[in-house]
Amino acid sequence: MMQFILQRALWGVLVVMSVVTLVFFLIFVAGDPAVTILGPQARAEQIADFKAKKGLDQPVPEQFLSYLGVMPCIRKDSPKYSSPDGVRGFCGLLQGDLGESYSHHESVANVIGYRLPRTLLLASLAVLFELVIGLTAGIIAALRRNRWSDTAIMFGTFIGISLPTYVTGPIALLLFAFLLGWFPYGGYGVDPLDHIYHALLPALILAIAGAATYARVMRGELIETLRHDHVRTAKAKGMPMPQVIRKHAIRNALLPIATLIGLSLPFLVGGAIITEKIFAWPGLGLLTIESIESLDAPVIMAVVLMFGIAVQVGNLLADIAVAALDPRIRLSD
Amino acid sequence: MHSTPKTDPWRPARWLSFGLAALAVALLLGWVIAHFPKAPIGPRYVGAGHPSPQSGGTLVFSAGSNIHTLDPHFAYDTLSTAACRLLYDGLLDYDYDGNMIPSLAAELPTVSDAGRAFRFELRHGIKFHNGREITAHDISWSLHRLLSKSTGSPGYPFYKSIVGAPAYHRGEAKRIEGIRVVDDKTIEFQLDEADQTFLNALAMPFAYPLPKEHVEELEAAEGLDAVGRHPIGAGPFAFSRWERGVQVEFRRFEDYWAPRARVDRMVFLENISPDVASARFRNGDLDVIHRPSKVNRLFMRESKAWAPYRAEVPSPSVYAIGLNCELPPFDNVHVRRAVAFAIDRSKLERLNPGEVLAAGQVLPPMLAPHDPELPTRQRFDLQRAKKEMRLAGFPDGLSEPITLWVRGEGDVRGAQLFQQDLKEIGIEIDLKMVSFATYLKETGKPRVAQAAFTGWHQDFPDPSNFMDILFHSRSIHPVNSENRSFYRNPKLDAILDAARAEVDREKRLALYAEANAILADDAPWAFLSYAVDMFAWQPYVKGFQPHPVWLNEYRNVWLDLPRKRVGQGIYEGGAGL
Amino acid sequence: MDSRAFRRFRRNKGALVGLFLVIFVTALGLLGPWLAPYDPVEQFTDRLLLANGLPAGPGVEPGHWLGGDILARDELSRLLSGARVSMLVAYLATALAVLIGVALGLLSGYVGGRTDTYLMRLVDVVLSMPFLLIAIVMQRVFDAPGIWTICIVLGVLSWTTLARVTRAKTMEARELDYIQAARALGLRHFRILARHVLPNVVGPIIAIATIMVARMIIAESALSFLNLGVRPPTASWGSMLNESQSLLLGLPRLTVYPALLISMAVFGFNLFGEGLRDAFDPKD
Repeated sequence: MMQFILQRALWGVLVVMSVVTLVFFLIFVAGDPAVTILGPQARAEQIADFKAKKGLDQPVPEQFLSYLGVMPCIRKDSPKYSSPDGVRGFCGLLQGDLGESYSHHESVANVIGYRLPRTLLLASLAVLFELVIGLTAGIIAALRRNRWSDTAIMFGTFIGISLPTYVTGPIALLLFAFLLGWFPYGGYGVDPLDHIYHALLPALILAIAGAATYARVMRGELIETLRHDHVRTAKAKGMPMPQVIRKHAIRNALLPIATLIGLSLPFLVGGAIITEKIFAWPGLGLLTIESIESLDAPVIMAVVLMFGIAVQVGNLLADIAVAALDPRIRLSD
Repeated sequence: MHSTPKTDPWRPARWLSFGLAALAVALLLGWVIAHFPKAPIGPRYVGAGHPSPQSGGTLVFSAGSNIHTLDPHFAYDTLSTAACRLLYDGLLDYDYDGNMIPSLAAELPTVSDAGRAFRFELRHGIKFHNGREITAHDISWSLHRLLSKSTGSPGYPFYKSIVGAPAYHRGEAKRIEGIRVVDDKTIEFQLDEADQTFLNALAMPFAYPLPKEHVEELEAAEGLDAVGRHPIGAGPFAFSRWERGVQVEFRRFEDYWAPRARVDRMVFLENISPDVASARFRNGDLDVIHRPSKVNRLFMRESKAWAPYRAEVPSPSVYAIGLNCELPPFDNVHVRRAVAFAIDRSKLERLNPGEVLAAGQVLPPMLAPHDPELPTRQRFDLQRAKKEMRLAGFPDGLSEPITLWVRGEGDVRGAQLFQQDLKEIGIEIDLKMVSFATYLKETGKPRVAQAAFTGWHQDFPDPSNFMDILFHSRSIHPVNSENRSFYRNPKLDAILDAARAEVDREKRLALYAEANAILADDAPWAFLSYAVDMFAWQPYVKGFQPHPVWLNEYRNVWLDLPRKRVGQGIYEGGAGL
Repeated sequence: MDSRAFRRFRRNKGALVGLFLVIFVTALGLLGPWLAPYDPVEQFTDRLLLANGLPAGPGVEPGHWLGGDILARDELSRLLSGARVSMLVAYLATALAVLIGVALGLLSGYVGGRTDTYLMRLVDVVLSMPFLLIAIVMQRVFDAPGIWTICIVLGVLSWTTLARVTRAKTMEARELDYIQAARALGLRHFRILARHVLPNVVGPIIAIATIMVARMIIAESALSFLNLGVRPPTASWGSMLNESQSLLLGLPRLTVYPALLISMAVFGFNLFGEGLRDAFDPKD
């Protein structure tokens, strides 16, 4: 088990590294961040100055090695660039330094620090909605199998899977925020309670696809379980249905659901790009879009890195969950 | 699953239930349609009805993009300016009529030496947010910071007429000779040559003073841009916190020299697109809106309920197609004129009613010496355009298409409107859509872009700000030219130089009128439109008025709280589906 | 499709509905530009622009069934020509993904050994790439995105599932007696792959590819929605959705049309693909 986890972790690091490498070269052989960041009225000297400060005037491979932290710092604005003893320090990933954002004029760590809690708030609300709606619908559908309510729910899940958030989001805003006035029209609010109120609608929209998936999985698992001998026995012994479901069926269904949650986590954390954009929710997703628009390379890199790590951790957790919950599966590659 | 069931036998109960379900769905749909919520036609909230200004409350407003900085020495865009307007005060300011008024200065300066020397007396009791009294030394120190090479402010060109400023900027002098602190409350400026735009320059945010001790401490600890993160000024609001790209918060400065601001807290949201901002505004989530999106703007224009709470003002900016005077075919003035006469600008006005005015000269309507009857003004005249094409030697049009550089969606829409017009005189247009960054980089280089969508927004209310920067041959550089049509005309240069130095206002305006006529006639730009801005505010927001120079001016606002939600009476009309 | 699978499929009403929708949107994509009554980029500023600057609604102007869009272009023509772009991108990107996925999957499953290990590692890497994120970065980086770059970006990023499934099926097939026999007889590998292995893989591939088309429609629209899709004035359903955002409060119909078409197409391909999967790979 331990060996497996270590192996997987090592492999995960490798995968993340290759993703980071790819994106890094994509960004730095393309657009010109300096001009984008400095804006319309920037003069040539300013641009040159900016490039020198950020090390953008160095060859790309050198920039990359410095970004990784295996070569001394090339960013002149970093305190590591000139240490008191005259030796250039390192300011890369290996040193835990994500760099300075170009457009936010702040350390990338700070920027992410602002955004992450909001995305987590949105994601956790979304998972909550997904589970509550999805599992309830799945259980109802399974118990009323092949009846019209089952058909309706299954039809609904299909629609749920087929409706992208950029379709549901604007329509929800129009209906529930603008016409009915129940929710704010996007945004994050000014006070803590306000934040939760503002998160409800986007979380609901974000949860549609997940809820549909969970409902389908739950229904399938439950139907499967209800046919197992021990469940039949329990039912035959006169155990009331809710208890049968609680004791046997749900426990069995938890396994694939847990796996799914594990696998979907990175998408909720880093991938709510479109939902956050529609609802102007200032989380990581919006940060991603903004930094890509302005070619804020350090932030893009950090987001890619975080996302890559989240995928790996999610996969690993899902694997471990499967192994822990299901004794039939032995973890060996 | 079950082993395959045979085809369903006829089961009446089942079909009945389907039928009932269908009926239920139909009924539900009907109910939803009948009770479909209607769009609010007026404000959702009104004020409490206090007759006199009240203190307190939070004012929330927004902008469509990022605030670049809160350091006034770098504030060169409308949003940074709007934010800096809350935090800082300068020697001079403009009133709501666009007249120059003293601010930190006790009165307007005494001018001497044939318009080359200016002497200011400072007010007493003016304080920075850290509580320290402002002296003439602060004004001087701040200008030195602004103009030093190491600061690298984009504001330097506005002040280079101060004696010794260029030498100081190059690092050849320790201080600027032309700035002289007479005593704690008196400061003098000496210019190389008479330059009447200088007072405008002093009213720009670039010249707002900062407290030396605070800036030096910060910069030592956090680097040059630290001031933009923890600003201290002398304005009516002090800084609370700023999350870049999301929002800035300000709180009232209690020790302000003029009457204190009334609002407790200001929240300035960034990156809220116009349509989202409009929806939020109509939903009551935003207190003031500037430039609502098209549909909402139309709605607000027509809505009686909103009429008392909105204003439309021409924005001091011009929008045009820049023609590269160094590259064929636009090195030929006749081709340029042909383009200028071929464009039917009324299409823009029809497509964006109330949002734009057709433009025929570089100066926008509110800026003297704009002349609506200018004889050489550009206008739609197809016969004239065809004649110019003949004069140019292209009676059958151009054989090669023109490449027109556009900066994005909005430009593309505009460009498509005029593609047809130019086809009429035999000019085919290929659109080249590039990112804003590429656009700036490439069109600033000579002999790259044949034609490009372009425009200008004024920095201060003076014609020189348009003409010197955009069309003087001094503004041509190997990279990052401000003169992006690479127009060179010694006669225009001479007029502009003379106007800049002219002290007599009437003579000055006459010179600029002459330049204005030349530019319309020579057509380095085919002028398209002037923008018209719309502002709207909630009924409970009092004392808001668009400012002719600063646009968003929130200093005098007060809130009539608590606000009250309006009943269903305003929900009329269809949802518009 | 063998006859049992076909029968299973035919009994699945949902799948039939899906098939119908798929045929419908595909036909729109194929025929759309010819069915379009007008040039989709022509602006009818005289007819489709009301005095207030808003486009005319459906049926106001004869011949313009769905009225005009934000720039006074014929909405119906844009929807129809947008169908071509959206479907083309979806199909082409899927085809590319199938090509890469099946080729690598066959190779991996058939050859096995080190090749297999490395290829599966590659799959892991690509799978760990945040799909939308990378697509956005790539689109941003290619300054002027066109249909082809979108297809390539989407295709290159999404072949992994196909490769995995193909590999698994190939490995299964490889162990079959008659293929072992064919190998022992010294038949050419390519022939074995093409004649004997591929047919075993084809069913699931088609099912997955069908669902993938749905994903591609979503992805293309998402990119266009973020302004990183096809270049204007070309219409795609996603770009139309994006353009109509600013008119959401005033003219929701401009949002509703493309939204409906996108949802319908995605729904159809999902239903159809799911039906195919059940038909090829019955659970019992």
